[in-house]
Amino acid sequence: MEAAHAHHGHQGHDDHAHGHPTGIMRWIKSTNHKDIGTMYLWFSFTMFIVGGIMALIIRSELFQPGLQIVQPDFFNSMITYHGLIMVFGAIMPAFVGFANWLIPMQIGAPDMAFPRMNNLSFWLLPPAALLLIGAQFMPGGGAGVGWTMYAPLSTQAGPAMDLTIFAIHILGISSIMGSINIITTVLNMRAPGMTLMKMPLFCWTWLITAYLLVAVMPVLAGAVTMTLTDRHFGTHFFNAAGGGDPVLYQHIFWFFGHPEVYIIAIPAFGVVSQVIPAFSRKPLFGYASMVYATASIAILSFMVWAHHMYTAGMPVEAQLYFMYATALIAVPTGVKVFNWVATMWRGSLTFETPMLFALGFLFLFTLGGFTGLVLAIVPVDVQLHDTYYVVAHFHYVMVAGALFSAFAGIYFWLPKWTGRMYNETLGKLHFWLSLIFFNVAFFVQHFLGLAGMPRRIPDYALQFAEFNAISTIGAWGFGLSQLLFLYIVIQCIRGGEKAPEKPWEGADSLEWTHLPTPAPWHSFETPPVLK
Amino acid sequence: MVGTVIAHPVFGPILEQEGAGFTYFRRHAGSFELRTFTLVFGSLALLSLVIAGGFAAAGAWLIVPFAGLEIAALLTAAAVFLRRAGDFERVAVLGDRVVVEFRERGLAEKFEFHRGWARVVTGKSGMPALRSHGRTVEIGRYCGDEGRQMLARALHSRLGGHRT
Repeated sequence: MEAAHAHHGHQGHDDHAHGHPTGIMRWIKSTNHKDIGTMYLWFSFTMFIVGGIMALIIRSELFQPGLQIVQPDFFNSMITYHGLIMVFGAIMPAFVGFANWLIPMQIGAPDMAFPRMNNLSFWLLPPAALLLIGAQFMPGGGAGVGWTMYAPLSTQAGPAMDLTIFAIHILGISSIMGSINIITTVLNMRAPGMTLMKMPLFCWTWLITAYLLVAVMPVLAGAVTMTLTDRHFGTHFFNAAGGGDPVLYQHIFWFFGHPEVYIIAIPAFGVVSQVIPAFSRKPLFGYASMVYATASIAILSFMVWAHHMYTAGMPVEAQLYFMYATALIAVPTGVKVFNWVATMWRGSLTFETPMLFALGFLFLFTLGGFTGLVLAIVPVDVQLHDTYYVVAHFHYVMVAGALFSAFAGIYFWLPKWTGRMYNETLGKLHFWLSLIFFNVAFFVQHFLGLAGMPRRIPDYALQFAEFNAISTIGAWGFGLSQLLFLYIVIQCIRGGEKAPEKPWEGADSLEWTHLPTPAPWHSFETPPVLK
Repeated sequence: MVGTVIAHPVFGPILEQEGAGFTYFRRHAGSFELRTFTLVFGSLALLSLVIAGGFAAAGAWLIVPFAGLEIAALLTAAAVFLRRAGDFERVAVLGDRVVVEFRERGLAEKFEFHRGWARVVTGKSGMPALRSHGRTVEIGRYCGDEGRQMLARALHSRLGGHRT
């Protein structure tokens, strides 16, 4: 992208304060998109650690058959909050952090459209996180209902369920405010010449994700509120004895839940679509088709929710429809995978840490996508439903997809954010450890699922022992590898080598071409004029 | 007004007049057109309502109030956006007069100073300001610190307070 002016992006200015705020109030009152992005990312990492500890408790219990470490109720609670915390507390905020940092810089805007609302969006998260963690300490312990919170389990669970419902409401409010902010920013604050079809793909993916969030968050809020009123106010939405329908909850939840998968995955696509061209030293292959494919995936995500509930009972015609509709998602996803590969084709490839994680994403997400296709087939899913095959599938999508993409993005933009380079050797070590241990942890779960091991159980039959032991070793290895990531980031911030202005020669979006490194406190007060 | 539009590298478009006068004009940042805006926010609200309506028909009517709350949030964002959409600031030196016009959050104001008496000072919030006969008006709302400094210097060199 070429610009008429290349040197006007970094004069200091703030509508609200004229010096740089310092101390704790800098963070509490911040309306600066970069500060808020940083807070989102640190919050996300903190919750990643909390959710990760829960995962390690689960895997440690499953290291051997029999009950070794925790009681079944606590195990179920860990299953619930590991899922909720990882989805709502770790992965979603991580990509909102990226959005905050990058969208204004990539479109040539000085900040987000509603900076104060941006601040509030973030500061709603810590109380919600405290409610989710605090739920463990309620009488009866945390709610052992799974992240899906199916009725009637959730309508009969202890008081921890009420805290969980409240936390979800708060997280939903935060998401809706964030989405309105992102949509308005992308559509209203682009620099002159930055047409929609010139935007970096990351901005496109977030625009589409924000649409998805606005569409589905009221559905989740309604679902948990109906659970609440069934629990305390005598309604019978999901109570068959009172004329309600527990399967209705499943329909409502998955109408939210399936788009939620793409709410997580689509920004990950955006990050990878920035990283792969940069390290291939080529423009993204098929930019327009990438935009249309992303939009198609988002639209299709509303039409496939019932593939999560083939076994809940539905007419065969509905099963056929949902099977074919689900398989259809492979088409736009295939377009994206093809375009990423075509971008690399005959490129001048180098394999720095961000590129390694992007390639890890590409291989493992594609594998997760294939197992998704397997699960889309009704007769197969009837066999594999609620087995470890499903657990393996969604961890390949969520961890190898979203988390690897987030790591790729962090290593890619860390020099821009901090002005310092991370240790490349340690970064590569982090990648290889993560890749190996991730596969040790989750690949064997496919075999466990195919052999019939149910998910969400603290004990299992003896024939599953070996693969469970291997999976637990992999999980611990993967978890401990993330401490190396924390060390790398802290070392980079505190004493990394000074980053050059443009450490990645193939990076071509505005934050690399028009702003100094590190990115200044305020950027693009005067919009760049792009040709 | 006759003059040449110059795309200034720091504070954007300036209309340099023949002679000593000049005009500085900046709008609130924004690239939305009202039609696009209505389409985007309207489609979001409609989508939310259709989904909530579908679930209400299936008996899950408690989704409707949340869709309503979300639409209220969208409308609030729209109101804020529309209130800011036409905001601008214009500072012009026209003969013996210095004219400052701005529209902030929908409210328009206009100040006129005598060029010989007006001074560039630092305003209460730290922004540059024009002062004369007890009246002070801050300028440089929609540019950065560097842009404000350049605007202040440009004005200073053209006002009565300028000493060479």
